[in-house]
Amino acid sequence: MDGLNSILVRVGRGVGGVVGTFYQAGRDTIDTVIRNVLPFMAFIAAIIGIINKSGIGTALANFIAPAASSLLGLIAITIFCAIPILSPLLGPGAVIAQVVGTLLGTRFKAGDIPAQYALPALFAINPQVGCDFIPVGLALGEAEPETVEIGVPAVLFSRLLTGPLATIIAYFASFGLYTSK
Amino acid sequence: MTSLLAGLLAADAPKGQDPTGFWGALARAAEWFIGLFQAGGETFLGLVTGIIPLLIVLLTVFNAVIRLIGPEKIDHLGEMAGRPGLQYYPLRYLVLPVLSVFFLTNPMAYTMGRFLPEKYKPAFYDAAVSYVHPPLGIFPHINPGEFFVWAGIAYGLRDAGYNLSDLAIRYLLVGLVVIFIRGIATEYITGRMMARQTAKDAASTEAVA
Repeated sequence: MDGLNSILVRVGRGVGGVVGTFYQAGRDTIDTVIRNVLPFMAFIAAIIGIINKSGIGTALANFIAPAASSLLGLIAITIFCAIPILSPLLGPGAVIAQVVGTLLGTRFKAGDIPAQYALPALFAINPQVGCDFIPVGLALGEAEPETVEIGVPAVLFSRLLTGPLATIIAYFASFGLYTSK
Repeated sequence: MTSLLAGLLAADAPKGQDPTGFWGALARAAEWFIGLFQAGGETFLGLVTGIIPLLIVLLTVFNAVIRLIGPEKIDHLGEMAGRPGLQYYPLRYLVLPVLSVFFLTNPMAYTMGRFLPEKYKPAFYDAAVSYVHPPLGIFPHINPGEFFVWAGIAYGLRDAGYNLSDLAIRYLLVGLVVIFIRGIATEYITGRMMARQTAKDAASTEAVA
């Protein structure tokens, strides 16, 4: 009887733990969605709605779609975003990458940009990822102040090289993607 | 709400003929003005119904899995990744950043840099931070607040009738190649700059002496 009891207790505790974990995970999720995801959706919906309806979208598309429809154009966008002085300014919250990405998305939807440029475009809009956050990121890794002093320019200059390289790799990696349509 | 406003505006317009002159222009201006926000509202509705349900379920499952496994399990890996030698490069700039980002998510992933020697920290940060977007198509829990870096382009394609899974996988895989290259490049640049800094410091102490 004692053996049975201890099994029951153990099973009950295990199940309770898993259920509790999932419940807490759900709580965290809803918290994230309400705090981070929904506000950004509201922001981006407002911007996209106004841009598309007011006609700015068409003007922007005439400017952006040709650039995003060729490897050279995408590399130009990448280099622009990776310029060491600009990249920390473009970085915060990835807002620029998200807005530009969504604008490009509307152009992909309209068919102005061929679908096979989606993969290189994902990298072209984002060579500045984390460039605003280098001192904080290094501090989280318990780096010395001397390391931060060198690390900031090191990452920024590295991006000028690896940013365009990423776009080129993505361009070649997208062969065979969406070509049948 | 926006449709209600538009409905009110439409109801105000006289039946049978469009208003002309000053009032007509005013009505058209108002209609255009509300239309801007109506388009935004429709976009918002599309985003909420198209993205949120899947996102919530995915986030819940991955948050639970991470809690069940326990993120402290990868600490040992961090200690190993700091060793010198060619065979530790993939561990340092591929395995460690990917696991850190997966288990600790943005921004806590960068705390794993504490196990590495100073000269590797900027390169590790570069590799880790560059991987907070490429897996978003499959593992959105790593950075839900910046989901639109991926979703902006991807959902435009989906609306045009394309399947996203192939793009999501390729984004994730190319991301791996890119962070590995970034880690090595940044480590090299950091090394050069640190050497120059040390030389400069030595020269200035000599000058003082």
